[in-house]
Amino acid sequence: MNEKVLSRQFDLPYLHKIDVYLENGGYEAVRKALKLPPEEIVEEVKKANLRGRGGAGFPAGLKWSFVPRVDKPKYLCVNADEGEPGTFKDRYIMSHNPHLLIEGIIITSYAVGIHLAFIYIRGEYEKIAQRLEKAIEEARNKGFLGENILGTGFNLEVVVHRGAGAYICGEETALLESLEGKRGHPRLKPPFPASVGLFQMPTVINNVETVANVPLIILNGADWFLSLGQPKDGGTRLFSVSGMVERPGVYELPVGTPLRKIIFDYAGGVKNGRRLKAVIPGGMSAPILLPEEIDVPMDCESVMKRGSMLGSAAIIVIDETVPIIEVLSKVTKFYSHESCGQCTPCRIGTAWINKIVKRIASGQGRKDDLKEIERLASQIKGRTLCPLGDAAALPILAIVNKFRTELEAMLPH
Amino acid sequence: MSAPVFEVIRKEIEAILPRYPRKEAALLPALHIVQRKLGFIPPEGEKLVAQLLEVKPVRVREVVTFYTMFTRKPLGKYHLQVCSNLSCSLAGGESILLYLEEKLGIKAGETTSDGRFTLSTVECLGACDQGPCLMVNYDLYGQLDRAKVDELLAKLD
Amino acid sequence: MPKITIDGQTIEVAEGTTILKAAGQAGIEIPHLCYHPAFPPEGSCRLCLVEIEGAPKLELACATVVREGMVVKTQSEKVKEARRSVLEFLLAEHPLDCPICDKAGECQLQDYYELYGLFASQYRETKEKKDKLVRLGRHLLLDRERCIQCTRCVRFLLEITRTGELGVFERGIRSIIGFYEGEPVDNNYSGNLAEICPVGAITDLDFRFKTRRWLLDSRPSICPLCSRNCAINVEFHKGLPRIELGQRVFRIRSRKNLRVNQYWICDLGRYSYRYLDENRIDRPYQLVNGRRINLSWEKLIILLSEKIRALKIRKRTSRIVLVLNSALTNEELFLMRRLFLEELAVSRFIFCDPPEEKGDNFLLTAERVPNRRGAEKIGFDLKSREEVLQEDKIDLLLIFAAHLAEKMPLNWLSSLASEIGAKFLFSSQESKLSQLMDFVAPVTPVAEKAGSFINVDGLMQSFEAALNPWGESRPEWEILVNLAREIPVNYRYFGRFNSPRAIWKAIAEEKLNISERL
Repeated sequence: MNEKVLSRQFDLPYLHKIDVYLENGGYEAVRKALKLPPEEIVEEVKKANLRGRGGAGFPAGLKWSFVPRVDKPKYLCVNADEGEPGTFKDRYIMSHNPHLLIEGIIITSYAVGIHLAFIYIRGEYEKIAQRLEKAIEEARNKGFLGENILGTGFNLEVVVHRGAGAYICGEETALLESLEGKRGHPRLKPPFPASVGLFQMPTVINNVETVANVPLIILNGADWFLSLGQPKDGGTRLFSVSGMVERPGVYELPVGTPLRKIIFDYAGGVKNGRRLKAVIPGGMSAPILLPEEIDVPMDCESVMKRGSMLGSAAIIVIDETVPIIEVLSKVTKFYSHESCGQCTPCRIGTAWINKIVKRIASGQGRKDDLKEIERLASQIKGRTLCPLGDAAALPILAIVNKFRTELEAMLPH
Repeated sequence: MSAPVFEVIRKEIEAILPRYPRKEAALLPALHIVQRKLGFIPPEGEKLVAQLLEVKPVRVREVVTFYTMFTRKPLGKYHLQVCSNLSCSLAGGESILLYLEEKLGIKAGETTSDGRFTLSTVECLGACDQGPCLMVNYDLYGQLDRAKVDELLAKLD
Repeated sequence: MPKITIDGQTIEVAEGTTILKAAGQAGIEIPHLCYHPAFPPEGSCRLCLVEIEGAPKLELACATVVREGMVVKTQSEKVKEARRSVLEFLLAEHPLDCPICDKAGECQLQDYYELYGLFASQYRETKEKKDKLVRLGRHLLLDRERCIQCTRCVRFLLEITRTGELGVFERGIRSIIGFYEGEPVDNNYSGNLAEICPVGAITDLDFRFKTRRWLLDSRPSICPLCSRNCAINVEFHKGLPRIELGQRVFRIRSRKNLRVNQYWICDLGRYSYRYLDENRIDRPYQLVNGRRINLSWEKLIILLSEKIRALKIRKRTSRIVLVLNSALTNEELFLMRRLFLEELAVSRFIFCDPPEEKGDNFLLTAERVPNRRGAEKIGFDLKSREEVLQEDKIDLLLIFAAHLAEKMPLNWLSSLASEIGAKFLFSSQESKLSQLMDFVAPVTPVAEKAGSFINVDGLMQSFEAALNPWGESRPEWEILVNLAREIPVNYRYFGRFNSPRAIWKAIAEEKLNISERL
């Protein structure tokens, strides 16, 4: 079954304009949701097993239920930072159907008791930020935002807030720091944002695609959502497919679709009939897979069992013509460049490994370089303040491990 | 720095402050406003933002130097930001960068002497299916090859 | 009160205690760099990672609160390896500056390497180059290559002084500490930054290249420059034979006292120590027509006692004026009261404390003498009493200036000087005051004697001598006891006082109601 649900209407011209959106059933989910008790919405989303689509895969309904129902300001931050290399699905959602996201924001905020929501969008998505702001204006003019929405007494304001070029701000606590006007330094957890978040207040942080699924769950029910995907992982995912395939692009497919199928059936297989060398299944932070490993169902649990992760569901296809050192170099350059610099292992470890890899790439490798890289990456793994440490260490370890022969050939013996 | 432009900047920043529960939360948007108007963030810009948001200038400097989109040095009229990450590289991004360096006569990180172009490498722009990509200021251009690069440069006066 | 087990030891701690603090209570040291007890945990150095039974990853001891039944291991192989690796990362990018770095000998990186490192460096890449001579303010230098990004300095200025001058600039391995042009660190607590920096990144200009930490001895004392009475350590050369003894004291450091100054001292107290070695009076002397005649203490005591005895016999002790200040210890003020006011019936005493200056709203008080509260408790009236100068002739003037000879307000002295019989000055420092005197004798400043003070909040601290007396300096209490013996006055009472402790015992027994000893 490859029926599009979330992106079903994305090809409609001018869908980003509220009149077109309304003509096509828009804001029905909001109307329905605002008549339900908020707790019921949380339960429904929990039942639907909607897992976070930003990278961590944490169940959204469960996250919402951690927010205490107290009389304090609470906030929603929609994570539109989309910095995971290989990922472009949120760009797709926000530029084609901003109102779907806005609906999701309204319903989520209503369910948790939030009256101020921020869309933290990466600074490079300036044009999309402008489109979102226009859509928010339209929504307000039609009474879907602001005070006393649809006469229910529910108030909600949505603010589009631009980042400025820092991958780490996609990490939820670094996002909060950035939104508070500071450097994007991740915070210690506990406490978790659900209790101590933006300005120390309870906060929900959800990815764009996660929030965009909420209206669908409200309209069609949790059971329907589950039936699209897997028992512990409901719905569809928007897979960002790039690299050496015939047809790069966004593919909406059920959670659990096999990776091989996505690459060869939907995206047209490896470009120019070349042979597959490797696949990154979930954005650069997901450890690389070999051709014999791509028969994995693309759901959170299955990919994890295979030693990688579904992450942001960004699939990067690499063919036989690519020297693996090129892939490794991009990985080590990226993480050392994006390290915020707070904690010792990441700040120094990622830079150290990058220096070694640069040397190898320029033909000045030394005999024990691979052992050294593996040693250092193992010292970063599990020891850092935030997940960026693992996001760097695990892919590096996977590449060195799985392509050891090719890399060793670059070193003196 | 001419006063009128600073007045415009001040007014724009003051207009967005009420959106936030605390003034200092508007720091990144305020710096975007300064950079959009001036092309970069000079000390006068930092101090103006500090004053309006009631934070110390050092807090502003901390932020300006952390985020790669903010620059304390003036840029060329057109900031060409070439994606140097994996997917674009797989699509041929390296050769596009080299071609631009050749055509403009500068290396990544430099500005042409006539002040028209600054060339930079950036990390993933989130448009990997359209690679290789670059951004010119805030506009994205994808599916680049030499011909398209020539076309693009010709368009930018 | 949760019960936990650390390295096999079971202890009970208060609710909310972190593993780091609990371990400390059990006598187990967990290494840490970014953590400082004065601030909330930062969690960035990663050195304090420990193993918790049942937890999948190592956890931070500084930030993890104990739970009932928690089992913690701080010496397992995993923990040792994690510590070694943090040190390896830090040392990889650290410049090999030890031979020229002032922090050598008291550097956390060195100390922890000795305990938890001891590996050969395997770093064969190029280290990051950064500025090594950044002037942070009047007193401090920053070496950015040595900095380990613990951010203690940034947090101190944000949380303690609330001045926030420093920040972190750039990102990742290019991160540096810096300030905004024109806004360096120039508050009255800047010196604390060099103390809390675990490595030699922030160093004190006052101490730069002067000596080595291992050549110094460190003894506790109390700062006498205001009425906060901060706990300090006086650090001085031990006097090894081959080291030239130009200067004794090389620096003052803060000493932890959670009820008085927590972990800090102000820059005034930190950098004003030169008076201990400069401008000191070496030995007693007499001035005759401007000519200096050295005297022994015995001679001086005899001379003074004779003059007092003569006045006492003729019942003319009303011709004695006693000038004091509040830099004297409780013990000394007590003896002043008993000996002069009571036994000798000297009623004409004046306290000439230096005028108040601006205090800050942290440690430095407006009062620039240490023991006004003590003087009040002993029963002295500190109000200006210059009227006593006119009450009668002055046959004998005794000035006890402690270390404040330059600052005592004695403008009445020069006009009266010619009419005064004999003028005695007891001071640690030489000053213009000496020229007006007949007899000058050296006393020990606070750093060279024992005693007690009561601070601005009524807290009492007692202290021992940190330094040996300079030359023939003697503490005031000893001079008074000697006088009592020589005059003689009730020596059965005064003769028992062979130490400040013995005097204190008397104060306690005689129930003068001074607040509890700290």
